[in-house]
Amino acid sequence: MSGRAVTSRPAGYREAAWSWTQHLRSAGSTPWPAWTGDPGQPVPGDWAVPGAAQLELVRRLAERSELDVRSFARLADLVLNRSGPGRGLAQQPLAWPGATTSFGPPPTDPGEVPLEELVRVGVGALTELLLAAPQAAVAPTSVRRRLLTRTPAFELDGSPVTTSAVRRALARAGHVEGGRAPRAVIVVEPVDQALFQAWSARAQAGAAVRWRGFAHRWAARRLLPPSADLPALARQWADRVGADNVHLVVVPTPRSAAALVGDALGLDLAPSRGVRLAGPPPVLPLSPAAVDVVRRVNAVLDVRVPGPRRAGRRRALAAMLAAFREGTGQTLTVPPPLRDWAREQGQRAVEELTSAGYPVHGRLAGAVPRFQGLAWHPSRAEALDLVVQACLTVAGPSPEGGAS
Amino acid sequence: MTGAGPDRSRPTRVLVHVGAPKTGTSFVQDVLWLNRELLAEQGILYPADRFDEHFLAALDLLELQWGGLEAQAVGAWDRLAARVREWEGTVVVSHEILATASRQQVRRALESFGDAEVHVVLSARDLVRQIPAEWQENVKHRRTLGYRDFLDTIMDESRTTELASWFWGVQEVPDVLDRWGGTLPDDRVHLVTVPKPGAPRDLLWHRFESVLGLQSLGLAPVTTRANPSLGVPETALLRRINARVNDGVLVGDDYRQLVRELLAHRTLSERTSSPRLGLPDDVRRWAVELSAAWIDLLSGRGYDVVGSLDELRPDPPGEGAAFSDPDRPDEAAVADAAVLSVVTLLGEASRLQQSERRLQTELEATYQELERSRGPWFRVKRRLVLAADDHRLAAVGLQVYRSLRGRSSRSA
Repeated sequence: MSGRAVTSRPAGYREAAWSWTQHLRSAGSTPWPAWTGDPGQPVPGDWAVPGAAQLELVRRLAERSELDVRSFARLADLVLNRSGPGRGLAQQPLAWPGATTSFGPPPTDPGEVPLEELVRVGVGALTELLLAAPQAAVAPTSVRRRLLTRTPAFELDGSPVTTSAVRRALARAGHVEGGRAPRAVIVVEPVDQALFQAWSARAQAGAAVRWRGFAHRWAARRLLPPSADLPALARQWADRVGADNVHLVVVPTPRSAAALVGDALGLDLAPSRGVRLAGPPPVLPLSPAAVDVVRRVNAVLDVRVPGPRRAGRRRALAAMLAAFREGTGQTLTVPPPLRDWAREQGQRAVEELTSAGYPVHGRLAGAVPRFQGLAWHPSRAEALDLVVQACLTVAGPSPEGGAS
Repeated sequence: MTGAGPDRSRPTRVLVHVGAPKTGTSFVQDVLWLNRELLAEQGILYPADRFDEHFLAALDLLELQWGGLEAQAVGAWDRLAARVREWEGTVVVSHEILATASRQQVRRALESFGDAEVHVVLSARDLVRQIPAEWQENVKHRRTLGYRDFLDTIMDESRTTELASWFWGVQEVPDVLDRWGGTLPDDRVHLVTVPKPGAPRDLLWHRFESVLGLQSLGLAPVTTRANPSLGVPETALLRRINARVNDGVLVGDDYRQLVRELLAHRTLSERTSSPRLGLPDDVRRWAVELSAAWIDLLSGRGYDVVGSLDELRPDPPGEGAAFSDPDRPDEAAVADAAVLSVVTLLGEASRLQQSERRLQTELEATYQELERSRGPWFRVKRRLVLAADDHRLAAVGLQVYRSLRGRSSRSA
């Protein structure tokens, strides 16, 4: 490609850009403004200078890389030869003293490329790597309740991330839901946290919706997702098992949930010897940035591969991001314009649940969001960090020794 | 297929019409779609089994989400390219969002055509007409950005917003031609200029005919898919509607059907006496200068210009033509447009209600038919279920049945 968009460049631009690109491909991480590398290298005639965002992403990958030279060069080429998916900024040329342009995007210092653009380019590369990686077999995680068991009959309901973790902790101790005339246990969390968990679960199931859009849509309908609508959940269970058998367990933090549910049911949570759980739980406790990465990758998978081929990649990505353990325990609250609505939803839940007279473990006021100290959108810097880590992980040598 | 069919003695020649939006692209695509069988008989392939096939291919190439349509676009570019490679003759590919493709996406597209002789076609119209049209398209695609904010965004030289990137990605003629034609000989890069207002009605079509090699076919330049423009108060109304229906009130397909098609295209566009959208003086001056720079630059290239580069130079404003600001519209005119919209939507609601009643009647008849075809044991069980609402014994029996039948395992 001729790359004629830059209409006037002093001599040396292409040579400097070429040598810097080769430096980055070999896992060098010198920033462009500091690059004084060999400008005498011959430049292939059909070579076009990659976009500033692509080059900066490779530089950031190089800063964190422990890959061998060949694996890193392969990863760099993937990034350099692929544009960011979907809508974003046009590819910008590199800033160069004395250069003028009469059309096309303005030149820039790659270090000034917005984080959003680096995330977009990185997500494109990450999706490509996930699609090329061998698919791991997914171990079934279903656990059957024993016919003869001392575990009382129970059913668990509420926010998907918390209930998934609790269900797993109970199963590890040999306690599986089901049985006749069960006691329904509903975990109660602040409305904004429940909404965040619903978003996380939706993203882990393939949705590409942004947090802001997700929260605004529910607020515009004056509704909550089914897993976060505690009065409705309680009513449904009361219809089935009677109001006396619907127990509300208020969970101050998701980590304490299993113990509190265990207490409410009178269960011993010591691990049981005979239980083996393979694979991760169905809904993972991801940080807000990790959920954001998953939903961005979903958007690319939606247009790249048919439905059946998406789920395995999505699960692999979520498991990898959860394993990084960055931001574990972090959560989001709703954007400021939605806070009155969220507070009202929490207060309505407290009033309805209180007046219905269900047995309560803890203080129901815990359903009202407090907002303080919580971010209301995922951090782009953290998302970029996760994308970089994920790209390096997937691009790394496979266990068999070859590159995956 | 009958007639001459593809010419097996010639290599494949692909004409890729990449835009720009609002330059008659939908019109050309519809004429090609409606005449695809006749074209094929003459050795010209318009590879499409549905009218939006090239749009889906473009979504695939650009990896773009588009209100859920992208799910139908998976693999669409590769399928299109395979049909191009199989054809021996001329192939036309056309979609206006292709204009925004990056260099890597252009390379993928061109490589996917194999050893075909590729020509790139870009149709272009002067900026003073394009800028308002782009904002209006934005509004017809759920955007709520005010006109002045839109203008300031695209005039900002840093282009650090997604909106500015998209606008210039499809409208910056020299850049689009450079991205798409940078690796092609200049004589395979064709720039079709849109005639000035008042030019003969079919002139633009004749230019497309000439560049696509359709002159001898005598195709009727008629279309069933218009993308009409709106007046200032109508666009202002639509923008206000967007602010109320976004965030979940209307999902993608409902918005497309009810707002874009029913309200914008079939109702509000009929109000042709409303003032048309133009540019404020400062923006007009800037657009005129920029156009002059483009013309200067393009005249130094060896591209095949079909029409005249001078047509990209905006006309001076008409006598007494005042700028009508959609950010401060005539509220009485907006109210008139709103009443017309309410009436249209009531008519649509009435039509849907009648349809629902008819379907309800059909459903009931089908249900009765089904009941008659089921055995007596099913009818007994059904009566018991209904009885459980009123009789405690029946309710207890039903609860026992359901608990026995219920779940006995859970995923951990």
